Amino acid sequence: MIQLFNLTKAFQRDQNALSDVTLRVTKGEFVYLTGPSGAGKSTLLKMICCAERPTRGQILMDGRNITQLATRYIPHLRRNLGIVFQDFKLLNRRTVFENVAFPLEVQGRRRIEISKKVYNVLKQVGLEHRLSHNPLQLSGGEQQRVAVARALVVDPLVLLADEPTGNLDPDVTMDIMELFKGANARGTTIVMATHDRGLIRQFPRRVIALEAGRVVGDNQP
Amino acid sequence: MIGQVVYFLRRALRNMLYSPVLSAASIFTVGVALALLAFFAIAVLNVQRLTASWAAELAVVAYLEQPPDGTVLNRWLSEIRAYPEVAEVTYVSRQEAYQRFKKRLGNDADLLDGLGADVLPASLEIRLKPEQREAMAAVVERLGRNKALGELHYGREWLERFEAFLLLLRTIGAALGGFLVLAALVIVANTIKLTLYARQDELEAMTMVGATALFIKLPYLIEGALQGLFGGMMALLVSFVAFRVILRESLGNILLLTGIDTIHFLPFAWQGLLVVAGALIGLLGSLLALRKFVRFCQD
Repeated sequence: MIQLFNLTKAFQRDQNALSDVTLRVTKGEFVYLTGPSGAGKSTLLKMICCAERPTRGQILMDGRNITQLATRYIPHLRRNLGIVFQDFKLLNRRTVFENVAFPLEVQGRRRIEISKKVYNVLKQVGLEHRLSHNPLQLSGGEQQRVAVARALVVDPLVLLADEPTGNLDPDVTMDIMELFKGANARGTTIVMATHDRGLIRQFPRRVIALEAGRVVGDNQP
Repeated sequence: MIGQVVYFLRRALRNMLYSPVLSAASIFTVGVALALLAFFAIAVLNVQRLTASWAAELAVVAYLEQPPDGTVLNRWLSEIRAYPEVAEVTYVSRQEAYQRFKKRLGNDADLLDGLGADVLPASLEIRLKPEQREAMAAVVERLGRNKALGELHYGREWLERFEAFLLLLRTIGAALGGFLVLAALVIVANTIKLTLYARQDELEAMTMVGATALFIKLPYLIEGALQGLFGGMMALLVSFVAFRVILRESLGNILLLTGIDTIHFLPFAWQGLLVVAGALIGLLGSLLALRKFVRFCQD
């Protein structure tokens, strides 16, 4: 599903955020990217969704080379991705329903289809009773569940999550992980950056360890 | 299609409602700039009408020391009518000149009591064809060869000076207008920029879920155009009220002395243009603001 070849990203001349990263994530896999802060986890995720361009190397997504994808095609690539951030990045002026509906509106889906899908996904994350609330009226855990719902509503091929449980307490973290497991069971490939070893022990999956921009470990459970 | 238009329009209106103070500032700026332009346009248009009416009346007047007898007069009239530049020649007898003057004096006509018609000279009024106004000096020179025609008066130089003044007025209007429009443009652009700064996270979230640049920008472009449109409408309203309350009186008093009977507001097409100009300023302002805001990728 995702193939990276000798991926290098240099922000400054002598300092690489990523150095020669080569790896392959197969369709339907659940992969943790782990490592200390500054290891290059976020940079790697950003390059997979074309938010950053690599300095060197190639990225293939579903067999297609997206390394130098023209800016105008980036939105189309992202419509097949679900992205979850540590800080949720919700539209705070809109209701929960509107936040989750937004990726579908962007795709020009019909209102009736949007309503149905949004309601179903909100039910799945247990927030159907909060659909008319604004994100700021919700707890952190609930906001992250809205963000997950927004990522899942488009039935993405790949879900990229950057420290999605970093700001959440353990109970809520479990809820979020259950949602990811469910999506993965339905066929979505998941790449999740985390430095929470406890979480990895609790939900064991393939772990790619990064350190100073290099892959230093790749272990199956 | 209609559904999409409604969707974007709703988003634009909602954006405006979220930042009412900034939106009001944009509308106000465009309104003030365009209202000032409208004032200038009203003044220029009316002064232009005045010069056009003067130009139409422009004539060479030959004051005759002694009224000629019928044969001589007829000879002069047919001679002058034969000039290719001349549109019309009228003989104004002493009696007619006296009546005209009396009429012009209006309530003060009694000043002429005790004076006879022979205080005023008879004259020939020679009007040129409008396209031959430039040839006035040549016509005067030709007329001057007939010494019996006496003193020749014509107002060309004065009209030319007035036209130069009109050109100056237009130039000042255009320069001031251009400056004000530019200021309005920058302020609208900055207002939209401020709202964009406040919504940077939102814009980033939009780019991350697959929104195209146009999808993100369109509501802001509509927002700018709407602000400009409202500003243009405000300018129209303000300039109309100002016209009724102030301009018609003050400008009217000046221009009425010169023979213009009524002062006009902007013609309908210009009113439309003012509102459209507002919308364009708003649209351009948003375009300028949005240039660097929506980024999909850090290259």
